Amino acid sequence: MADLTLSDDDFFKFREFFYRKTGILFEDSKRYFVDKRLLERIAATGNDSFRSYFIMLRFQASGEELQALVNAMTVNETYFFREDYQFDCLTHSMLTDIITHRDHNEPIRIWSVPSSSGEEAYTIAMYLLEAWPYLSEWDVEIISSDIDTDIINKAKQGLYSARSVQHVPADLLQKYFRRKGDFYQINDALREVVEFTRVNVMDPADMRSYRNFDVIFCRNLLIYFDDLSRKQAAEAFYDALRPGGFICLGHSESMSRISSLFRVRKFPEAIVYQKPHEGKR
Amino acid sequence: MALIKAQIISDAGAEAGYTLEQLLQALQHDEASCRRQAARDLVAYPAASAALFNQLAQEQDTSVREVIFTSLTRIGNEEAVAGLITCLRSEDAMLRNEAIEAMKQLPQEMAPIMSQLLHDPDSDVRIFAVNVLESLCHPEVENWLIEVISQDCHVNVCATAVDLLGEVGSPRAHDALQALKQRFAGEPYIQFAADIALKRIAHV
Repeated sequence: MADLTLSDDDFFKFREFFYRKTGILFEDSKRYFVDKRLLERIAATGNDSFRSYFIMLRFQASGEELQALVNAMTVNETYFFREDYQFDCLTHSMLTDIITHRDHNEPIRIWSVPSSSGEEAYTIAMYLLEAWPYLSEWDVEIISSDIDTDIINKAKQGLYSARSVQHVPADLLQKYFRRKGDFYQINDALREVVEFTRVNVMDPADMRSYRNFDVIFCRNLLIYFDDLSRKQAAEAFYDALRPGGFICLGHSESMSRISSLFRVRKFPEAIVYQKPHEGKR
Repeated sequence: MALIKAQIISDAGAEAGYTLEQLLQALQHDEASCRRQAARDLVAYPAASAALFNQLAQEQDTSVREVIFTSLTRIGNEEAVAGLITCLRSEDAMLRNEAIEAMKQLPQEMAPIMSQLLHDPDSDVRIFAVNVLESLCHPEVENWLIEVISQDCHVNVCATAVDLLGEVGSPRAHDALQALKQRFAGEPYIQFAADIALKRIAHV
């Protein structure tokens, strides 16, 4: 096992399979990263060759190993208050725009995807509690989803390193976290209101359950996809949004280069993308 | 009113898997959102290419059209490619542009028919084929462009190809570019564009 290496053919075969399943395309430059994790999974599952592992991966009815592999291959680097100008935009501009077109019968729904270990979803919750004056008049739901089930469990646990919380203002750190040794844990009240779920945004069947969102935060996910998968994901997000709903991408991403379905909204705090109101396309 | 816990309610039909017939029916639904969803789900059925093209021909909602194109690109079978080629002959500019964008995503599928497209009797179709080459990730792109500027008799087709050669060409295109200048000696734009391309490929 120590001598096992992956041939170019193995790599290409795996890359194609993984891309078909997840939309994530590994460039040649990621070869070392992919090989290392793939070899770890081959060893962990007791296989002695890529071939036997690949057969298991493709034909395992439960899909358990595919999920383990996805967990190993996805990157989960984030922190609290990352690109916080978009959260300012949420509480100052986007939600104000949304409530002018809505009655109070249904809750406002916010989706953070990918959730990674939950920093973004909890940041949104803190922003709403601290900076959105209309929270007393509206019900708001925060859903946060990821393809990686290990990271979802971590998000539910809500335990973070000092590095992860370094941008949290001291008063909020005091208010919403409690110290646990070298770590900081999000308080129970916040953990109870954020719903974490597993989703593969490239799977139309998965995505059918995600509807009626007012705001979607999808930052730094589409950069891992190729052009066609990006377009497919953008179209799925379009249907996940209510008319007039917003989607926020990472600072290096542009919806205009992906799909023409959305229109650009320039708010004082940020540029975001909006699903047109009915009849305005 | 406050932050409240959400619930994601699974779509039971999706979990069980919609049948081809159910989805084809939904593709005719009055609601655009239903047609979009059906077009997206039909990606799992390569046999649906023809139905997707039929819908495309009559679909008025641009968002549904966009999803249909994405599904056809993802399916990418012979039938889908043939349908995209039909779109190149459409009078509808949006349809043509969407088809060109879709074809750019299908280098392996387009390669076997590219030569045929570049020899199409309709010069507009030949120009669109050159447009596809603009972003087609295929090792033959330069050879196809050299062939176009060496053989095509239509000045606009050659002009489109020579512009692109300036971006993607190598010194291999040198002789063909010189010959092009001679063939269209009275066309100032060809002289201008070929000179730029020659200058650029000299620095590759």
